[in-house]
Amino acid sequence: MRPHHKKRFRRRVKICRFTVEKINYIDYKDIELLREYTPTNGKILPRRVTGTRPAFQHKLTRAIKRARFMALLPYTGA
Amino acid sequence: MPLYELGIIVDPEAPPEDETSTMERLEGIITDAGGEMVDKDARGRRQLAYPIKKKNYGVYHFWTFNVDGEALETLNFEMRTNDVVLRSLILNMDRELRRKRKMDVKLAARAEKKAAKAAAKAEAAASASATVED
Repeated sequence: MRPHHKKRFRRRVKICRFTVEKINYIDYKDIELLREYTPTNGKILPRRVTGTRPAFQHKLTRAIKRARFMALLPYTGA
Repeated sequence: MPLYELGIIVDPEAPPEDETSTMERLEGIITDAGGEMVDKDARGRRQLAYPIKKKNYGVYHFWTFNVDGEALETLNFEMRTNDVVLRSLILNMDRELRRKRKMDVKLAARAEKKAAKAAAKAEAAASASATVED
């Protein structure tokens, strides 16, 4: 029998930046902000990873897609 | 008249007089329709995240203006048919900011409530210490 032992994980607490900082409109021109949610491959980070609240994740994806259309952000990573 | 925001990318290789004339024409469409410019923001030359029409750079302009919705059709048509314009995006800011205004109100109410609560608590503490002193 395997020794019974509990592995303890300490999960990093994820916080929604938009809730904390009370940012309630995400502008597609704010590339510095959007960059934090798009890694170099250009994909949008899921809220599972970032902890963003659903309402803000919707706004964020919208802003990122607009920024992509205006060639401010890449569709795919270089 | 709703508030709109226009983002536009102009070809940097086009002659400068072409650029100014198109921008003037676009502004003319807005003012002719009885609209008024609120803000003009020229961000200038910037590298594009991906090439558009084989161009790696673009000149960015962002405008905010009040205009009747019908003018957008002519505006869009002008931008689509103009070769100097690489990309354009018009957003209805009234619609965009509706949620924000709602949230601002909510946040303000919450902050007020919190402040009131804190004040009440401070008052209670003050009166409690006063009774102790008595």
